[in-house]
Amino acid sequence: MSATAVATGPVVEKRRGEGLTATALLAPATIFVAICLLAPLAYLFRYSLNDFVATKKMMVEAVTIANYVKFFTDPYYTAILGTTVRIAVMVTAACLVLGFPLAYVMARTQSRFKNVLIILTVLPLFVGNAVRSAGWMVIFGNKGFFNASLQGLGLIEKPIEIMYTEKAVIIGIIAVNLPFMVLTLQSVIESIDRAVEEAAFSLGAPPLTMFRRVLWPLAMPGILAGTILCFILAMNAYATPFLLGGPLFKMMAPLVYNQFTQQANWPFGGAIAFILMSVTLGLTLIANLIFQRKAAR
Amino acid sequence: MARLEIQNLVKRYGDFHAVRDVSLSIADGEFLVLLGPSGCGKTTTLRMVAGFIEPTAGHVLLGGQDVTQLPPWKRNAGMVFQSYALFPHLTVAQNVAFGLEMRKIPRADIGKRVEEVLALVRLDGYGGRLPRQLSGGQQQRVALARALAIRPDVLLLDEPLSNLDAKLRQEVRVEIRELQRQLGLTTVMVTHDQEEALTMADRLVVMSEGEVRQVGSQRDLYERPANRFVAGFVGRSTFLDGTIGTPGHFRTSGGLELKCTGDKTGPAVLSLRPERVEIGLVPLEGLDNRLSGTVEFVSYLGSLIDIHVRLSPADRLVVQIANREGGFSPDVGQPVHVGWPLSAGQVFTT
Repeated sequence: MSATAVATGPVVEKRRGEGLTATALLAPATIFVAICLLAPLAYLFRYSLNDFVATKKMMVEAVTIANYVKFFTDPYYTAILGTTVRIAVMVTAACLVLGFPLAYVMARTQSRFKNVLIILTVLPLFVGNAVRSAGWMVIFGNKGFFNASLQGLGLIEKPIEIMYTEKAVIIGIIAVNLPFMVLTLQSVIESIDRAVEEAAFSLGAPPLTMFRRVLWPLAMPGILAGTILCFILAMNAYATPFLLGGPLFKMMAPLVYNQFTQQANWPFGGAIAFILMSVTLGLTLIANLIFQRKAAR
Repeated sequence: MARLEIQNLVKRYGDFHAVRDVSLSIADGEFLVLLGPSGCGKTTTLRMVAGFIEPTAGHVLLGGQDVTQLPPWKRNAGMVFQSYALFPHLTVAQNVAFGLEMRKIPRADIGKRVEEVLALVRLDGYGGRLPRQLSGGQQQRVALARALAIRPDVLLLDEPLSNLDAKLRQEVRVEIRELQRQLGLTTVMVTHDQEEALTMADRLVVMSEGEVRQVGSQRDLYERPANRFVAGFVGRSTFLDGTIGTPGHFRTSGGLELKCTGDKTGPAVLSLRPERVEIGLVPLEGLDNRLSGTVEFVSYLGSLIDIHVRLSPADRLVVQIANREGGFSPDVGQPVHVGWPLSAGQVFTT
């Protein structure tokens, strides 16, 4: 701890034992992250540079970018990446549009049922992805509840095809991600002084103007956090696209899993995993920069 | 600036009456203060004038126009909030310009007006700062400037000084009052601080339980409180419980016989201002009511001394004296004489 004690710049008074306590508090999480997250990632990255002999289904030690080249030169794989990004963007936008009003009401309500509202929002997360998807299958199948009802009422003749389409996947991921968006936004909106909105009103701003000039910019940290969270979750969605999308619908996370388990192609699987991670990180950073530049204006 | 008229305003939440039938008329350029304990309906009344709360019944007229049904953004009322409610993401100048932009005033004029108003609150040169870079007092002045910039028909102040420290509060009081006079602003302020109310108002409205208890000048409220609530809330009073058998004769619950004014009879309270009661070591001459008692408690306030005198097992009186050089300085347990002229006592039948 002597190294930290010799501090340059403004002198910050230290409480006795603070350095030691901080170390003790940080250590468990740091060790956990290092062993359970960073080490596997490092291994995976190393694997992604290896060769794969398809005939023998065997990994051969090497240092090559062949796996990455294979991914980006084959339109089959780039199309899957495109689909994944498109779905994630659509889901995130939908969650923001659906989530903001809900989060606003929950943040501003004086009702004593506020806690009930919060629990209701989180309730979908109590059900695992697989179980929920199975439920969706029952509802949206061609003979499912949704189509049977509409047909029974004579509103449609042929069942609307939802299961095993992109629609089902989008609806499914929105349902999973919405609570994350709502909770993130709600806590940020709650921290915005209500009087600020009233001040805007009293100065002559109608509700929409108030929203654009005051609420939206002030909620920006929450919008950013919620959007990033939602986007990352959507990019990496596994169970929902796998179960609701059907065998022909492909997204990145199921593809990675498929390479590891079905094809036993660890190098290529590793490469795809790293591409997915880099694209997610890259797009998140770009979005962050754009939003921040806007906010700075 | 304009005249503000509040007619039979009522706000009910279910069975709870936040405001019951409040009618007030505020003249052009007048500074009216709504004073009362928390929960008395003063803030609700102010918020109904601002348009944030829709009244259950009654009307708000601003400059002769009925604005009861208008949303706040169509009312042209400048409001200063207790928390100031500055836009934290906008600079001081942008905060002040906000209302002007809403009024579609040309950009060049906005810049000029913002500078004028900031100079008015002595914040010239601070336009480029963010609210969080300012002290509490400066933030308060920005909030005031922002409300004044729109040239409001009425200025509404919701406990504007309660977040300032005591010393600053006294300065800002005077500042706001001078600005208000100079600009001839019709102003309604809400406060629970009676010193603040007394120093700033042209006229005061004392409220409790959603009702107006008395409207009047500082002198009216202090010298001629209309009821026991006002007597206790504005300034300080000692209340002696008792009954009036025949008009002019008050008998306390402790059995003391006192003279009082008025022609009412029945159960009543006698209210006395502590500084209007005289105290001495020898019987006092020339006073209508003369009693003896013992000093039970003394609190030394610096320039003043409060003396609590036990008159009977059921009656205790507070006497306040100036702390003069060589003046009366009582000790606990000391026998003393007290007295007051008939006019010092005020009787409210209960």
